Parts: sequence; C-alpha cells; structure tokens
Amino acid sequence: MLKTQELQINIGPQHPSTHGVFRLIVTVDGETIIDLKPVFGYLHRNHEQLGEVSTYIQSMPFTDRLDYFNSMANNFGLSIAVEKLAGIEVPQRANYIRVLMAELTRILNHATAVAFMINDMGAWQTPLAYGMREREKILDLFEMASGARMMCNYFRFGGVVRDLPPEFMPQLHDLMRGLPTFFDEFERLLRENEILMLRSEGVGILPKELAASYSVTGPVLRASGIAYDVRKAEPYSVYDELDFDVPIGSVGDVYDRFLIRIEEMRQSYKIVQQVIERLPDTTGGHINPSMANIGKQKALRPPAGDAYGRVETPKGELGFYLVSDGSTRPYRYKVRAPSFINLTPLGDMCRGHKVADVVVILGSIDIVMGEVDR
Amino acid sequence: MTVEFARGKSYVVDRGKPKTRAGQGMLGGLDVVIRHFFGAFGKKIETQADTTGVFTVQYPEERLELPQAFRNFPILLYDDATGHELCTSCFQCERICPPQVIHMSQATDPATGKAIPAVSEFIIEYDACMSCGLCAEVCPFDAIKMDHEFELATSDHPSMTVDKAGLNRPISYYQAIAPRFWEEAKDSALKKLQGNMKRRSGNIGITPSFIGKAKQAAPAAAKPASAATPAAAAKPATPVAAVGKNMSEEKLARLAAIRAANAGGAPAAVAAPVAASEVDDGAEAAAPVSAAPTRTAPSTGLPFSADNILGGVPANTAMVEDKVERLKSIRSGNLAKGE
Repeated sequence: MLKTQELQINIGPQHPSTHGVFRLIVTVDGETIIDLKPVFGYLHRNHEQLGEVSTYIQSMPFTDRLDYFNSMANNFGLSIAVEKLAGIEVPQRANYIRVLMAELTRILNHATAVAFMINDMGAWQTPLAYGMREREKILDLFEMASGARMMCNYFRFGGVVRDLPPEFMPQLHDLMRGLPTFFDEFERLLRENEILMLRSEGVGILPKELAASYSVTGPVLRASGIAYDVRKAEPYSVYDELDFDVPIGSVGDVYDRFLIRIEEMRQSYKIVQQVIERLPDTTGGHINPSMANIGKQKALRPPAGDAYGRVETPKGELGFYLVSDGSTRPYRYKVRAPSFINLTPLGDMCRGHKVADVVVILGSIDIVMGEVDR
Repeated sequence: MTVEFARGKSYVVDRGKPKTRAGQGMLGGLDVVIRHFFGAFGKKIETQADTTGVFTVQYPEERLELPQAFRNFPILLYDDATGHELCTSCFQCERICPPQVIHMSQATDPATGKAIPAVSEFIIEYDACMSCGLCAEVCPFDAIKMDHEFELATSDHPSMTVDKAGLNRPISYYQAIAPRFWEEAKDSALKKLQGNMKRRSGNIGITPSFIGKAKQAAPAAAKPASAATPAAAAKPATPVAAVGKNMSEEKLARLAAIRAANAGGAPAAVAAPVAASEVDDGAEAAAPVSAAPTRTAPSTGLPFSADNILGGVPANTAMVEDKVERLKSIRSGNLAKGE
C-alpha cells in the first residue's frame, strides 16, 4: 500500500462553480475528501443592521437583494412578519396575487436550480438554456406587474403595490399552456440520463436525522424524507384554501433533490391554476385600504413587541424576526436565511466523496450567496 | 410513510426502477435537444406558450417592448408649456429613499428669504440608486417618476451624480412612456401644480432649460395640450418681493433677518433657507449637496447621512446600543437647535 499525504486545497473564493464568492477548504487524500469546511462572509452587506436603521418599508427593497432569484418570496416574508407585528389585515385578492407571485417564483427558481446543478455536472449550457428560457417568461410577467425583473419590490404591508395590469392575465394563460410541455421535456431530457444518474445516485446523502439536527429546510430536507413544508405546517396567506401535495424523497441524495424540484414545479403549477380560477371571484382590492397610502407605510409604528414571520421560499424556510420598540424602525431585525442553514451540512454530505462531487453536491443544495452572507 | 395534510398529502417521489443503462435515457434526451435544435431554425417564439423556436432577441438591433410599469432611474417632471417643475421640495422622497441618494434644497424668495414651494437644487446619485421606485410612489405631487431609459453606461463616473438639469423631463415624455399611469395621476398633479405656481415668482421653480426663453414659453400656455395649466403661467414675472417695494434698504435687511430667524425655529421640513442652495451650476453639483441635506439629517437620524458620505467625513456606522436613548438625544438636539 502506498503512503499518501493529506493535502489541503482551496476551492474559491473566486471559482466559477461555487455559485458566488464562496470558499471551501477541502482536505483530500488523493481524490477522496476527508474534511470540508465552508467559509462564507465574502458578500456580507450588513442587511440586518440596515434593517435596523431603516423604516419598515425601506427594508422592503433590501429584501429583494437577499435571494435575488426569488425577490417576490423574500418580500412575502417581510410582509408577513410586519403584518403580524402591526396586526394588518390583507384583503383576499391581495393574498391570491401574493400566492400567485410566490408560486411563479418557485417555478422559476427550481427550473434554474436544476439547470445549474446539471451545469455543474458538466452538461454545459444546454439544459440551462431551457431552464433560463422559462425563467425569462416568468420574469416578463414580474416586470409587467412590478416594474422590475429581479428586484421586484412588489409587496407592501397589507397587500401589493398595484393591481395586476390588464395585459397580465392573457400572458399568464399563455405561459400556463406552455409550462407542462416544459416540465415533460425537462424530465425526458434529464430524468433517465445515464450520466446524471451515475453522478447523482448515492452522492451527497444527507440522512433524515442529520438533516433535522442541522435544521435544514426546503427541498433539501424533503429529499431526505421529512415531509415538512411551512405552507402545510403553519399555513400563511391563503395556502390553507389551496390543494397541493408535498413530494418527499426516500434516499436523500443529489438525485432525490433533483426529482423533488421537478415535482415541486408541478405542484406549484397546480397552485397557480387554482389561483387563476379563483382570482376573478376574490373580494377586496390589491391592498388594505388603511395602508393604501404609502405615507401610512412610511410612518408605520407597530406596537412594542416581537413577531416571527416565516414563509416557504423555493430554498426553504425564510424567517424574519422583528422586535419593535414602538418607533418607526425595528429594534431588532433578524433574517433566518434558508441558503445559509442548508449550506452548513455540506461537510457531512461531501465526506468520502471525490473532489468532482463537491461541485455537484453544492449545486444540489441550491444556494444564493446574497442570502448566505446577507 | 406518507403524511396526510389538511388539503393534500405527502408522497414519495418515484426514483424509477433499476434497469440496464444502455444509453436509452441519453437517447431520449438527445431527441429533445435535436427537436429544439431544428426548431431554432424555424420561427420565432411568439407567445409565452411556445417552447420551441428562436427565443433570442438580437439586442441592440431588436428590442423588447418595455411594460409601462418598468422602472429604472427617477426623473423629475416639468410642465411642457411653462417649464414649471412639479416638485415642491417637500422632502418626502429624500426621507424614504432607502440608500439615501436623493438630495435637495428648497427654493427661497431672494428678497424675503421665505421658503417657496419649488426646488432650487435636486441631486440624485444614479450610481448608488437601487431603482426601488419608492420615491415615485411617495411623491404627493407626482413630480418624481421612474424613467424607462436604461442604456446609461458611461466611463465618466462623476456624471452619474445627476442634477436638476439632467433629471428634468417634460410631462409629455412621461405620458409617452407610461400613458396609463399618467392618466391616473394627471388631474391631481396639474391641479397641485397650478396652486404652487401662484406661490412662485421669477424664474423660481422653472426648469433650467426654460429660463432663457420664459417669454416664448408664456404664449405656449394657450395651446390645447396644456389647457389644464393656464393663465397663471402667462404672467410668470410677478413683481419680486412686493412687500419691500416702498421700504428703505435698511428696513428691508432687518425684515429679512427677522424672517430668517423665524424660519429657523420652524420644524425641519420648512426650516431656514440655506444660502448655498442658490447654486445652479451642474459642474459643481457636489457643492450644494454637502450643504443642503444637513437640515434633514436629524430627522432621519441615520449614521450615514449624505453629509458623511459626500462631505468626506468618514461615516460613523457604529450604532449606539440603546436606541431609545439615541432617539431621546436626537430629540433634545432638535429642540436645542430650534431655540
């Protein structure tokens, strides 16, 4: 037996496959990983401190920059927290518009998350192009409603900033007609692909117990076989009026995470269909009349107390913990970022695998560094 | 081990049966790719329902139509006929701006030193603007709106700090890019403008590009397009400081001093006239900025006020632990200033 030496190598911070400015200190024995330490903080932007010196509404555009793929879902989280804190009612129509946006966000996130994971495996750009195409169509809708493709800043406390424009619904109907074709094609393209299966089956297994003890959430947790979804565990908005299922995995490897994301896209599609059906019959406007004036949002002084608002973003449970001292600015503003917490078990997932698998496992967690470092 | 929920259940995703991997999965995928490959020689994608076809837009030659709600950077509107700006320097946008990039100073009557509902200088740092659109949303006079122009790349960094001359656009421009939004805002915006025009005199509140041609502008008010902004515009040159007409110079100066002192005691928003606010020179854009926002700094209470950033003073980001104490000290500071 040859004697080999352990070697420490650095992946990142500037590395094309780390999904941002992210560093991995990997200890290897030959090609096998003995230990892995993720190092983050390179993209720290003081989000929580900014939240504490800003008024509540001023934090809204900053939340867009957390997980910049899913700005609508981030807006949702802050809105829920502040509404809980200040006791603001949301009209039914506003709630349905919010759910519509949040579920479209999930579709676009999973389409690109899967595509980027495949990209990390070496399927250079082709599946990514298909995922990005669908994402573009959804971004067009977001732009129409909110004015921006990625930094939407669409939610307000008590509703959304403006109602859907008249040209929104026809375009959404078109999108909905095309999406099933996309799901089927995407699955046919990737699901039984031998290379993908070789690279993902049994790779990066995160056992159920470990996932729970790391408090991992989102598709990564569900792939490990725990049926936990904030939309079901603590239904917010109008999720308790909508029918949808929660897909879970059986092994908890990269392949399960890939399958879960595809299934979740189909479930989101089902939710959007129900929302489209019910939207015309909803009562109330796009915003609570008492909060319709932005001056009210600006001068919002929630009573002293605290609130934790959480939503199921495509990446997992996003929580905003706010403490109010009765002034216009939160006393404490804390973000529970799903990407950050899902990233912590990376070392355990990678141990024993080869160096090339690190990139795939990292891709399967689906992180956005803007949210990890905040 | 599925779990039943209120509306729906959990289900285990089917991983497929283990089978000999002879490449059939890859061939199936290849079929998809080939169909897309040949589709790319065909027609363009027309509706959102299409999934095959040419999706790429050849950008500089071809452009997508921007929706009306599109927002990039804020602009200031002025009336086409008279050149009067809709902005009254109410400081709402400056206060709500999350990255604090809007700076303005209120116009004052040169003779009396009293504040006038017009803006003497307005600066937005486009390079730090995050295009959130809150300023346009909060503006009670519909004076600040979000532009559709996005090709602003430049190698000249200081030019991204834009002053009033660079920000001003006629109402007709905004009407062209966002007809539906302007239709909603039109009536109240023009009504408020008329009220404010009555309180302005001389060139105050008129966009810089109009100042030389105020006379040509006056007859334009008769045009049907500007029917809503009439007569008041026709006589923009109301006598400056009519009050002081028959007074001796000494008396006038004393009056001005008294007025300045009175204004100093007023709350922050309508506070004392700032001498530096008369600077109109775009080249020295940064100069008025450092002077202007000082008076709103206490009301925001932010550790990184525009003062600190532009005046070269290092931003003190160290936060005081107890915010209640901080609030108290700010309030007492404000009170002391007022006295």
